[in-house]
Amino acid sequence: MTTRALASRFAGYAILIFFSLVFLYPFVIQISNSFKTEADASANPLSPVPHPFTTDAFDRIFGSTAFPTWLGNSVLVTIIVTLGRVLFGSMAGYALARLRFPGRPVLFALVLGMMAVPPVVLLIPKFLVLNQLGMYNSYPALIVPLLADATGIFIMKQFFESVPVSVEEAARIDGAGVFRMFWSVVLPTAKPALITLTILSFQGSWNEFPHTLVSVQDPGLFTLPRGLADLVSGSLGAGTQYPLKLGAALLATIPVAIIFVTFQRYFVRDANEGAERG
Amino acid sequence: MATGIRGNERGAGWLFIAPAAIVLGLFMALPILMALWVSLTSWNGQGSPFTSDVPFAGLDNYTKLFAEDGLARQDFMTSVRNNGYYVLFVVPIQTVLALGLALVVNNRMLKNKGFFRTAFYFPSVTSSVAISVVFLFMFANTGAINAVLGVFGIDGPQWFADPRGVLHLLLGWTGLVDVNAPPAALADHGVLGLTWWDWISGPSVAMCAIITLVVWTTSGTFMLMFLAALQNLPVQLDEAGLIDGANRWQRFRHITLPQLRPTLFLVLTLGLIATWQVFDQIYVMSQGNPAKTTLTPAFLSYRTAFRDFDYGSGAAISFVLFVLIVVLTLFQRWVMRERR
Amino acid sequence: MTTRLLLAAVTAGTLVAASACGSGFDDNSKTQQSSGPASIQIMIASSGDAETKSVQDAAAAWAKSSGNTATVTPAQDIVQQLGQALAGNTPPDVFYVDAARFADYASVGALEPYAQDMGGAFLPALNQSFTDGGKLYCVPKDVSTLALEINTDLWKKAGLTDADYPTTWDQLTAVAQKLKMPGVTPLAIGDTRDRIGAFLVQAGGWWVSKDGKQPTADTPQNEQALAYVQSLLKNGLAKYPKALDAGWAGEAFGKGKAAMTIEGNWIKGALTSDFPNLKYVVKELPAGPAGKGTLSFTQCWGIAAKSQHKQQAVSFVQAATTAEQQAAFTKAFGVMPSRTDAQSAYQQQYPEDAPFVAGAQYAQGPVNAPKMDSVLADLDAQLQGLQTGNPKAILQRFDKNAKTALGG
Repeated sequence: MTTRALASRFAGYAILIFFSLVFLYPFVIQISNSFKTEADASANPLSPVPHPFTTDAFDRIFGSTAFPTWLGNSVLVTIIVTLGRVLFGSMAGYALARLRFPGRPVLFALVLGMMAVPPVVLLIPKFLVLNQLGMYNSYPALIVPLLADATGIFIMKQFFESVPVSVEEAARIDGAGVFRMFWSVVLPTAKPALITLTILSFQGSWNEFPHTLVSVQDPGLFTLPRGLADLVSGSLGAGTQYPLKLGAALLATIPVAIIFVTFQRYFVRDANEGAERG
Repeated sequence: MATGIRGNERGAGWLFIAPAAIVLGLFMALPILMALWVSLTSWNGQGSPFTSDVPFAGLDNYTKLFAEDGLARQDFMTSVRNNGYYVLFVVPIQTVLALGLALVVNNRMLKNKGFFRTAFYFPSVTSSVAISVVFLFMFANTGAINAVLGVFGIDGPQWFADPRGVLHLLLGWTGLVDVNAPPAALADHGVLGLTWWDWISGPSVAMCAIITLVVWTTSGTFMLMFLAALQNLPVQLDEAGLIDGANRWQRFRHITLPQLRPTLFLVLTLGLIATWQVFDQIYVMSQGNPAKTTLTPAFLSYRTAFRDFDYGSGAAISFVLFVLIVVLTLFQRWVMRERR
Repeated sequence: MTTRLLLAAVTAGTLVAASACGSGFDDNSKTQQSSGPASIQIMIASSGDAETKSVQDAAAAWAKSSGNTATVTPAQDIVQQLGQALAGNTPPDVFYVDAARFADYASVGALEPYAQDMGGAFLPALNQSFTDGGKLYCVPKDVSTLALEINTDLWKKAGLTDADYPTTWDQLTAVAQKLKMPGVTPLAIGDTRDRIGAFLVQAGGWWVSKDGKQPTADTPQNEQALAYVQSLLKNGLAKYPKALDAGWAGEAFGKGKAAMTIEGNWIKGALTSDFPNLKYVVKELPAGPAGKGTLSFTQCWGIAAKSQHKQQAVSFVQAATTAEQQAAFTKAFGVMPSRTDAQSAYQQQYPEDAPFVAGAQYAQGPVNAPKMDSVLADLDAQLQGLQTGNPKAILQRFDKNAKTALGG
């Protein structure tokens, strides 16, 4: 190996390590500072070692904030929304890819159109509809509007179109009805796409913030992001209390982090496929 | 038999798509129509907006944003300015950073790429609210960022309390302009409710903190897109260049980059579309403060409706933003279609 | 089986939509009233843990004795949360209404005018803030005024004595210069009209005319006031809380980052609970060119016109405004009682609060007119940039915006 190549490799690693620090050190700061006292956190924000080490922040999170309620709501909302998105998304995707029925091209065009609708401009509109339907400030308001998303439908449609029809043809000759075929023949073959959709839905609904802002008002219905935003902007009284806030943010990040590490390859599917080829 | 299946399919098709269609219709299509109506009224948030008591305002809410000299236009134009600078900084920086990281990670001589790829991508999957909390702490006056700057002997700014625009600061620093007494040509004249001097402020110091956060969270996603594209490039071309004696930069500039153009376009337009929608970070970190320098149209529309009870005006701002983003999206899809 | 499952899912979805449609579109003008035990919601804009806790205690005590239940919610941003709740037809039954926002709520019919026969027990000047069209809508909860709090340890450390407590702007500047020490900012001051406005009063000016119909910001007096505050900020003699890494001025003061602050009675409760060891004194605000001046703040216990439990809500408000309960609130977070019959007991019990009480004699109330909120919010945004801004431009901008809003 030439010196030139060595130098270039060294430079490559140096850049990578520098940027890894930039991208990961904030999380280190977050973890370590949530175990610090408030004075320590403001005096030594950079230090990765809490001195003294204290779990005070976490005692307060569970003792004097409504964190357990938010956690419960987040879990409930995430599970139902994920199930809904996967089921409804794959059904609709299948229908758009395989079933011939009048209105299909129009519906697909609508799905494409809806993917272009920016979520933030829907804040006031969603509030109006929830309000008008008498659902505002309830669990249905928190859950039902999220049950289907255009992107999920699109992903599933693209997937079903990439699978050969032959399996279904065979089942069809068997005389299986459309529903049974979908459930026992089509869905099992769609496992990779279903996992991708599950993960995207999980991440999306766990992190969802703006929707909770316009769908509920009662603190008993807050999810984690909403509760966290509330903590930050002042329901604690007016103190800064960074260790507590960082700790709460950390707890809210952990589930997504676990899913991410476990199912990494589905998050980065496209890139991985590329890597395998290259 | 054929008709049987077709008939079956027809019913099944509708049934399969019904749940998603109902949800999307009820909570995407219908809301847009309702909001369009509200944007033409001056509903004050009491009772239903769909009764005859609600005063019809016609296009007033829209003309207030563009044509009438007043607080509404001033706020709206301030938010457009802020978001404009935000876009101008975030999009190029995140694109260049993403491309650079992808090129390094893609280097065939390096090992452990998986780890680095994961590290760069991880911030993208976390909750925007949780990350905003972390960055609030990092950008606190005694926070990590100022501690790092302190190592280099720099007295860091009071990030979220500092409304000064960076271009103003730059102009003041070069000595061309006295920031406290800006040239009358700029300060006394203006367009659309803001003076020229206000228009050229650049992002405020507080906005820079938010820009940093967003670049940091989104670069990973775009890096993956570049990486996927890079890994699909044929190696032969690059090797041909190597044989021709082209250096690394020449090979990148004349061989790799042209082939990455579709991805580059995708990343740029996705960035453009997303940056006009910034909301979560503003809500958590600054609420438009200090001195309205982090106010964005999305946040302004929320605030106008839910704080000032001026739902008509808030909905009108949403629609202007909606049109802007849809135009950008259509443009993107149109260009991408040409390429296929 | 799968067919049934799918059908069930679809039907459920449609049912949700259909049942929901039924309930929302008719706009109930007469709200159904419940009698008997009820669960009432109380939304407060809390000054801190101390206030939240004592209102919770009061609610719990009332709930226990009356057989109802009550939930207290400290709002993060009461204007926004209440606005959404009112539009969503799910307002809390009882909520704080700030005098500055009263006109907005009353003008859109959001408030139940329950207090028409209850006004006699409260200070007339306070009732005035919550009266519209001759009707008293809600009873005043309490009253606070601004005063100057001084950290006595830092005071001594700077070589200052009891004789140096500032009574004029010049003296304030002089002591501030002495108090400027490493890590200590002389004065922490909130970056809103609710603090900086006091200087306007001291200079003999105010944002709007006495009748509240005309903007009067662009005057030499007001400009002098803002220029004075600006000079404090520019010379590092005063800082806004955010610049001190604090959520509000009282926190910076409590942490010893600021030697003086300008806050109201509520600071007592907050300091007692968060910084029990802090030693400080309270003095009247220094007088300006036009004499003494301070601001007063009052809120009332509003009851939503759309509440389903008005009877129980009124019962709660009565329980929360007894002389004993007001005394308990005073003890917990320092506000002054709003009842006429509680005044003398209060002054005897808290002699150290004399500056707050004295301030009430000459205090200026908030700008109180509907449709002014966005104008005032814009003013606050300008005041945040006061350090590098142009005082005259800020005042002119306010006049221009307020003129439109007030329809003048």
